[in-house]
Amino acid sequence: MTLLKETPPDTRKARSAAPAAGKRRGRRENLAGYLFMSPWIAGFLLLTAGPMVASLYFAFTDYNLFNAPRWIGLDNFTRMFDDPRWRKSVQVTAEYVIIGTPLKLLLALGVALLLAQSRRGQAFYRAAFYAPSLIGASVSIGFVWRSLFSDHAIVDRLMSSAGIHAGGWVGNPDWILYCLVALTVWQFGAPMVIFLAGLKQVPRELYEAAEMDGAGPLRKFWSITLPMISPVLFFNVLLETIHSFQIFGSAYVVSNTYCGPADATLVYTCYLYQQGFKNSQMGFASAMAWMLLLAVALVTAVLFWSQKKWVHYAEDAR
Amino acid sequence: MGIGGSMERRTILKAAGASAAVLGLGATTGCGGGSGAGDGTVTIRYSWWGAEERAKRINRTIALFEKKYPKIKVKTDFQTYQSFWEKFQTQASGGNPPDVFQNAVTFLRKYDKRGILLDLRPQVDAGHLNLDDFRAGVTEVGEVDGKQLGVPVGSNTMALVIDKKLWRKAGVEPHAGWTWDDFFKALKTIRDRTGVPGDTGYFGIMYLYDLYLRQNGKAFFTEDGLGFDRADLTEWWQDGYNRVRAGIVTDPKAVAQDLPKSSLSAGHGASEFTWDNFTVRYHSEGDSTYGLAPIPTTDGKHTGQYLASLMLSASARTAHPEEVARFIDFMVHDPEVGRIMGYDRGILAGTEQYDAFKPADEINKEIARYEADTAEAGVLGTITPHPSGADTVEAAFLRIGGDLGLGKVKVSDAVKQFFDESQAAFQA
Repeated sequence: MTLLKETPPDTRKARSAAPAAGKRRGRRENLAGYLFMSPWIAGFLLLTAGPMVASLYFAFTDYNLFNAPRWIGLDNFTRMFDDPRWRKSVQVTAEYVIIGTPLKLLLALGVALLLAQSRRGQAFYRAAFYAPSLIGASVSIGFVWRSLFSDHAIVDRLMSSAGIHAGGWVGNPDWILYCLVALTVWQFGAPMVIFLAGLKQVPRELYEAAEMDGAGPLRKFWSITLPMISPVLFFNVLLETIHSFQIFGSAYVVSNTYCGPADATLVYTCYLYQQGFKNSQMGFASAMAWMLLLAVALVTAVLFWSQKKWVHYAEDAR
Repeated sequence: MGIGGSMERRTILKAAGASAAVLGLGATTGCGGGSGAGDGTVTIRYSWWGAEERAKRINRTIALFEKKYPKIKVKTDFQTYQSFWEKFQTQASGGNPPDVFQNAVTFLRKYDKRGILLDLRPQVDAGHLNLDDFRAGVTEVGEVDGKQLGVPVGSNTMALVIDKKLWRKAGVEPHAGWTWDDFFKALKTIRDRTGVPGDTGYFGIMYLYDLYLRQNGKAFFTEDGLGFDRADLTEWWQDGYNRVRAGIVTDPKAVAQDLPKSSLSAGHGASEFTWDNFTVRYHSEGDSTYGLAPIPTTDGKHTGQYLASLMLSASARTAHPEEVARFIDFMVHDPEVGRIMGYDRGILAGTEQYDAFKPADEINKEIARYEADTAEAGVLGTITPHPSGADTVEAAFLRIGGDLGLGKVKVSDAVKQFFDESQAAFQA
């Protein structure tokens, strides 16, 4: 109390007013910030968060889009495992991910290693190899692919001239999935660019030191390049794996929208789409979507766990 | 921060507020489609499926309609068959289906059960829509439980479309009252003499199997389920599979690659069962000449055929039922509309239109003759009921039939799969 009395009233006022004014200004600036963000916040809440919450609810219901959803607990999830087409879609997607992703990354890394060396026309090659990943996801490329891999089309002729008479891949349930794999592998440009950036970061002196010790190119790749770019490799593996699980467009277009023949291209999202939008089983489709999310989360978790063993961050060593 | 700073802030706040307001405005205008303007003009939305050619014709008929009813504007939208129904389902579930749209019998009960279709009977009673002056028996196709849920624009019936050149080359000829044995013998002869399989895959076509079942006193559907048992289907599919293996039916691998073309027009098969008004398609897709042949029979007489039809239906949620009824009335009765549309959606259903359009080209003449012959032969019966889910069942029948032909699934497993999926479709 005495202390307060000693202080001149005007200073006291000024002292207490200053932080309040600051707070008010801060609050107003926050408000402006939120207002600016409002279109995105509204978009996120209405178009992403809302539908996600709704689909989580639908996953536990019998819902045909028209009648009110009826709560059925875990029935949709148990039904999946009894559904031969669901099992087929899991198998097709797994095959696609397991075959396509490593092939694509191997090719990306290989070409990146070649392009990392300075040579004439480097910029052109980089652009040329990168281009497919810009257009590859488009519907028109799907159509091009379909016609490349049909009976008597170019791929069939090339294979026939090599003595393999397999016919068109598109109509053959044993081959059509590889047609999709080829399409994703062809788009190796995006991971390639990331590998290139990673390769540029590897310090020259490491190679020089290794050469002094008499290391050959394979040894240098194995002991220097690979560990040094392992964070980039991890990033690419993670991104491409998650991306592969979500394949839809190419399967839908190459199979002429029916994800066949004989369900050979019935990738997970394709079956989800058929159940939700063709067969009016939105509850089941929602449950499928959440199952996919769980599976992708699980795979991601495993990858993160495993990276402790094989990814080396240069910062740790310093 | 000085004065400039706060000024800036104020402007910024205003801008942010304005953008939020615009966003809000956008949201409200987005919902206001299909309603009337101040001057009494009413806008109705009309959607259909079909090719570009159909759209051109329909747009001309709409111009005629808008001239006669200047207070009614029509907003149009069309897709292919598959996309149309996917989009329609989404719109309808969101409470925003088009006011009036093309429909088929497969979808009547499905969307009636979901409360989407307008019963047009009150509009008929009010005199806005005339259900008289139709060819015999066609308006019944749009009736469900005493409600008029659709008004036919054209009728069609199943037929066998043949590649005339190949059949002639093989020296075989279809004829009325021929049996399935005759038919399959002909396919084999074609295969032996021309090297082309005789048929593109009859055993996956739901509407053909329906005819076969009807010839044998059954039908594909009952009011609420399937009208046949597993043993029936096992026999049908086992025979079909054997014929693919024997090479008299096109390998489904070829069929898959010919899509979106038909294997008949691609020259990979000599005949195909389909709706008679689809013949036009083969003429535009393929190089050969195509004709219509009678459906094979079991007893040498009954084909099991009936008239199906494309129709116009209205949304139960439309704000303008009267205008929609007048629109449908115009589209099914106006003679000029009939002359413009021709047999694009089947043989014209209304008698004024039927009389107004006299086909000049060979294709349409043949379609007209085929339907006249079929009617005269006295083989037309009452249409098979189509329970809710019939559309999904039809797609499953085609898909699983194809899988079977590829040898990817055993007949017994295919039959089980089909019955399981049908059960789910009826319940959905």
